[in-house]
Amino acid sequence: MSGPRGRRIGIAALLVLLAVAPVLALAPAAPGAVRIAGVSVLWWYAALLAPVVATTVAVLLLVRETE
Amino acid sequence: MSALAAVAAWLQPALVVALAFRITAGAPDAPWLALGALIAPLVAVLADGGPAARNVVTAAASAVSVTLLLAANLLVAADGALLLGMPRWLGAALGAALALAAGAWPSARRVAVPALVVAVTALLLGPFAVAPAGGGAPWNAWHRSGARPALTFPERSPWVQSGKWFARATTLRFTEGQRVVTVAAGIYRVVEHDAAPPTVREWRLAAGDTLTLRPGDELSVEAGARLRFEAGRRVPGAPASGAEWADAPTRGPHLLPMAVGALLTVLGGALALVPAARRGPTAVFGPLVLLAATLAAIGWGVYAASAPDVVLGGALPAPLLLTPTAMLGASGVPLALLTAATLLLLLAVTAVALRERLGASASMAPQLWLAAVVVAAAVALWPLDAWRVLTLALGVAAAVWAPARLATGSSGALAGPIVGGMVFLAVAALPTLAPAAPAWLEALARYPALVAAPLGWAAARALPPDGDREAPTR
Repeated sequence: MSGPRGRRIGIAALLVLLAVAPVLALAPAAPGAVRIAGVSVLWWYAALLAPVVATTVAVLLLVRETE
Repeated sequence: MSALAAVAAWLQPALVVALAFRITAGAPDAPWLALGALIAPLVAVLADGGPAARNVVTAAASAVSVTLLLAANLLVAADGALLLGMPRWLGAALGAALALAAGAWPSARRVAVPALVVAVTALLLGPFAVAPAGGGAPWNAWHRSGARPALTFPERSPWVQSGKWFARATTLRFTEGQRVVTVAAGIYRVVEHDAAPPTVREWRLAAGDTLTLRPGDELSVEAGARLRFEAGRRVPGAPASGAEWADAPTRGPHLLPMAVGALLTVLGGALALVPAARRGPTAVFGPLVLLAATLAAIGWGVYAASAPDVVLGGALPAPLLLTPTAMLGASGVPLALLTAATLLLLLAVTAVALRERLGASASMAPQLWLAAVVVAAAVALWPLDAWRVLTLALGVAAAVWAPARLATGSSGALAGPIVGGMVFLAVAALPTLAPAAPAWLEALARYPALVAAPLGWAAARALPPDGDREAPTR
């Protein structure tokens, strides 16, 4: 995958990760309010899962383009 | 530019403390704002650099945006001074002097990147230090805060023992009766809703006077007012219970325009403030420092929520500066002072990075930097809400400054900012021009970039690249 194309896909992935948070929070029936291990799905997603995935995607793209 | 240097203009004290404040207060938008604060600069670091577009419109937009960003950070410094028992103006003045010196120091750029790493590391120390008293891991603290039956004033709260200051004018809604003692003289207005029409009473009270408030009453206080509350009573304005703090019952599909507006503002602001970064193995530090700063802000916000009265006064740095003593007692004072010093270091790094961004889009002239800091300091003397000033600054950056980066040529880099700027001004003026505008327009009034940024970006992309234009015919 070429550098610019990979970067475009990476940016799209980051934007999808970002868009999921308000969807979880605002969708009818509040799926984000479901508790897993005492914490809501919304906060597991917004404070842990999405940040770690987003950082990994950005790091891989920033490092890979020099190889 | 390295990825670390690129994100320095983003990791401002105002952004970090605003995230923590909104989490502590149980604001409905806190989760997506926290995520947006991390992902927006990552997108900007990865995005193309765009043409080196310098024109009078982007120069003006960058100057306005940087000045407002500085003002938001100086407002945080002023609020921080108030929390530490100093006058607001002293905090704004010290912050302005620090920003002025850091931005003007020729060698500052060399030390700014290590200073950013030190500041973010120190920010992370706080949540670790208060964790044992706050319920252990952040998820345990979150669970504990979300399970409280009511959010009440603890016995040891400074709002109960000696009284605290309100950073800005506010209206407190009481859901249960409470006797409030004035610690500083001032004008207090109570609206009683037990009869129609509501009864409005206004008093000039001296220190030591008592106000008896009933359920449903509203108390309006001026900026700088100092009050004492009753222990065991509900904190006015706070969520009614832990469940309400955790799940914000006001969240629903009707908030979608507000959420999109906030995220477009943050994304556009990052595109303007965070330049494309150099690739390479060392680039990993940029995203990692962003992740660490975001997790630190979330950690501070979650642990501070165990003391629900921390955010009562409306001062944004309160979760970071008051939580150590609220949770650890007197032994938390060194941590509070370390956190205050960390925020000052972050302000200095921000100033260096903002000066550089201003230089890239407008001018490196020392007079321009001096003017920006002086105007920002003057704005910070008023008790404005730093969060509103920050979102206004990011909105201007998103709608007027960012289109220049997205343009494919110099004509787009001029047209995009003009379109974005005109729409932004028109939408921002809506509340003044049409005070009776319907409620659904609130998202536009709060985040004018919701409409202005996409139109500005579209105008910037619509015009052809410089090389594609036909040569003029004679």
